[in-house]
Amino acid sequence: MPVQTLIPLLIATPGALFLGLSLVWLLGGAVTERAMAWITRMAYSLLVLLAFIIGWRMSAQGFHPVRVLLGDWFTVGHYGYPLSLLVDGLSLPLVGLTVVLVSIVAYFSVRYLHRDPGFLRFFLLLHLFTFGALLVFTADSLDLLIVGWETIAITSVLLVGFFQYRPEPVRNALWVFASYRVADLFMLLAIFLAHHWFGTTSWKGLLGAEGAPGIHGAVVAVLLVIAAAGKSSQGPFWGWLPRAMEGPTPSSAVFYGAISIHTGAYLLLRIEPLIRHSWIATGLIIITGLATAFLGTLVHRTCADAKTSLAYAAQTQIGLIFVEIGLGWSTFALIHLVSHAMLRTLQFLRTPSMLRDYHRVHAAAGGRFSPTGSHYESLLPQSVQVWLYRLALGRGFYDAVVERWIVAPVQAVAHWLALFEPKASAKKSSDH
Amino acid sequence: MPYLSLPYLTVALALLLGGVLASWKASHPRRVAAVAAALAFIAFLAAACESRAAGQGSLYDPWLPFFQADGLNAVPMAFYAALTLAVMVLAPRRDAAGQAPAGMLLISLSVQTAYAAASWVPMVAGWWLSCLPFALGMFGSQRETRLTIGIRLASCIALTAAVLLLSASSTTGFAKYGTLWSLFFIIAVVCRKGLFPLHAGVVHAFEHGPLLPKALLFNGHLGVVLVARAQLASPPETAHHAFEFLSMAAVATVGIASLRAFAESKPRRLLAFLCISQASFMLAGITSTNIEGVTGALTHWLLVAAASTGLICIVRALEVRVSSTEDPLMHLGLAAKAPRLATFFLICGLALVGLPGTLGYCAEELIFHGMLQSHLSAGIVLLVATVFNAINLLRLYNTLFLGVLPKHVINIPDALPRERWPLTACILFLVLGGLMPRVVIGWRSDAANSIEKALSAAGGSGHH
Repeated sequence: MPVQTLIPLLIATPGALFLGLSLVWLLGGAVTERAMAWITRMAYSLLVLLAFIIGWRMSAQGFHPVRVLLGDWFTVGHYGYPLSLLVDGLSLPLVGLTVVLVSIVAYFSVRYLHRDPGFLRFFLLLHLFTFGALLVFTADSLDLLIVGWETIAITSVLLVGFFQYRPEPVRNALWVFASYRVADLFMLLAIFLAHHWFGTTSWKGLLGAEGAPGIHGAVVAVLLVIAAAGKSSQGPFWGWLPRAMEGPTPSSAVFYGAISIHTGAYLLLRIEPLIRHSWIATGLIIITGLATAFLGTLVHRTCADAKTSLAYAAQTQIGLIFVEIGLGWSTFALIHLVSHAMLRTLQFLRTPSMLRDYHRVHAAAGGRFSPTGSHYESLLPQSVQVWLYRLALGRGFYDAVVERWIVAPVQAVAHWLALFEPKASAKKSSDH
Repeated sequence: MPYLSLPYLTVALALLLGGVLASWKASHPRRVAAVAAALAFIAFLAAACESRAAGQGSLYDPWLPFFQADGLNAVPMAFYAALTLAVMVLAPRRDAAGQAPAGMLLISLSVQTAYAAASWVPMVAGWWLSCLPFALGMFGSQRETRLTIGIRLASCIALTAAVLLLSASSTTGFAKYGTLWSLFFIIAVVCRKGLFPLHAGVVHAFEHGPLLPKALLFNGHLGVVLVARAQLASPPETAHHAFEFLSMAAVATVGIASLRAFAESKPRRLLAFLCISQASFMLAGITSTNIEGVTGALTHWLLVAAASTGLICIVRALEVRVSSTEDPLMHLGLAAKAPRLATFFLICGLALVGLPGTLGYCAEELIFHGMLQSHLSAGIVLLVATVFNAINLLRLYNTLFLGVLPKHVINIPDALPRERWPLTACILFLVLGGLMPRVVIGWRSDAANSIEKALSAAGGSGHH
């Protein structure tokens, strides 16, 4: 089978699994835990095999980019939505990484979520996520990328609220969703403006030799940088990642340790030629990355629970990846990205049992473990140490700032708009 | 004059009327009404298929030639008949007792009459007829507020006045009455669609009284039908000012309703703001006067009808199961007991707010593109509003389905088979329509091309 056939098959398999199994369940059918585990194992084994074959064939051909044209999704007037996939030296490692890490997490989750009431829901969302992630990494245009981008977002939100009978995950899922949507707004704007100004959103059209330089190109680049920052929990969007830790550990591993959190960095690597044309976009990436890395590492040290601590650590590393991309060290950034994803997945999956092991060893040692850290901090003056500690403990006062300066004004305007409605609207309905 | 091969429209409308009369006093009114709705659906579907096969142009009914099937109305008629059938099947037992099924069929009859109208008179008749079931109290003790009744009557009176002026202008020339006609036309559309600042009327209608008949009435989208028909009639320059005003009013409504919803926690009110905001997209698109915007609006029409009917039916299904859903003080956690209803709700909602992979995404994409072409700032307002709407949708979902299950909810049934099948059909349309949008867009392309041509001929296209 040629690579042009294998690539759509690779992407469509998890999507078809999600659709088929969801439909069976919605119509009243029962998918048992055993059946779901078997289907998942078979499907992900197939995906790994397909990814391996694609990689092997591409390496035999010297890693030339492979484009798969699937025709138009729809066309109206002068506005077309072509479906085209691209696998090249940048997307291939991430496709491979996705299928391998999701497979590991899926195998792990079969046991981890055994007899959990949300077992079926988790695997359905995992299949949907895999579809979204593969689509992001193989999309040949911004139009198609956002389909995967938002699919990842919604699965992420639903998994944050996985333990839906507790109020905290529900609240945090809403926060995560709001952050995603606000960030996605910038991507949507970039897409529509790209259509408006350049008549295309394909990578070839935007980044090619006759690409999109000038002020319009810079605007699109800046908008995409902000969207990428939202997805990777950087800059002004850095508050959602720790909140997203409410989901089950396997989903945290695959979303916030491995794949989802790195899609922002992938987007930046993909649009690098566009960024290079704009010093504002380049500067924005570096400043955002540095600021997030600094705050992340600071807060990471004061976190009381392991998963949140890992979340801030991940945020720090992605901040550094952003800086590397901003400085033009693309290959280094890609290697950093892949290795970080693998390491962090391992850490997330190991955390629950590691804590248990630690407590056991700690008890066996008679509670004589000495604390670590506090090396660099001691170099700073006492007053600065205290100030930094307060900043870190308050997590940069991010939540307070957002609540006071964004949420509260929006709600105030919403209440004020009731002015246009008669008072009777407040009357409680008693007739149904 | 080309005719349909059989009098499908007359038969379908007669079936609806027969259904109204037969189910009025029937011992099993739902059964009788559902059979009538199903048969009417088949007749409308046949008319739609014939109209599609005939391509552009109108096919008149051979028995009643003041009814027609064309690119604009053929698919929505079949679609609306399917919605009527779905609501009839889905309706909880207490909402499908007494004269309520007859009332719902009467709403369907009125909307279909307005859709099928080949001239202004049957359209006006359809508008007036839609007020009848509520005036006759066919939905039991559930009463509407005076505000809702007043706004609906105002729209009917304004449309009647506009049509009278139009017929007078045919003898004296449009210029004489043009401004007055525009004024009545705008009032009719603003009142019917619930555009800002009259959106409170729709919110009232959703909050008080029967919800399922309101879903049918709301999803008739007669305001959009009126605008589309007016555009198809190659309107003079005065009418373009009316369209421009309506476009701006629609964009304002999209933004204001999406923002206003942040101050709401009652499910019915929150749902009302969500539906108003998303439904106003189509008016914004249809008045964008370019092919992308118009096609997007006509596609969005089907999407909003399917998705919002699904949402409303689920909310009603929950209301009859758990009384606290009317005004919840905290999260209700109903997903633990009704996971399928939760899933249906989420998919319908996400499609409504334009999740990629659903029909909502394609329809909104076209509307955004059309609006950005004609009014850049208005397009940006629409984009921001979708963000707010999506957050509001998740708030509503969280309130109803997530959180701790209240202690008094010991056991409630999940989606019953009669709920499950219509809702599955609804989400299949939304998802498959999103995966293969060319099919659905193809249903609407004839009408969109006709509208765009009519506007170009009148010098309206590209005048921004």
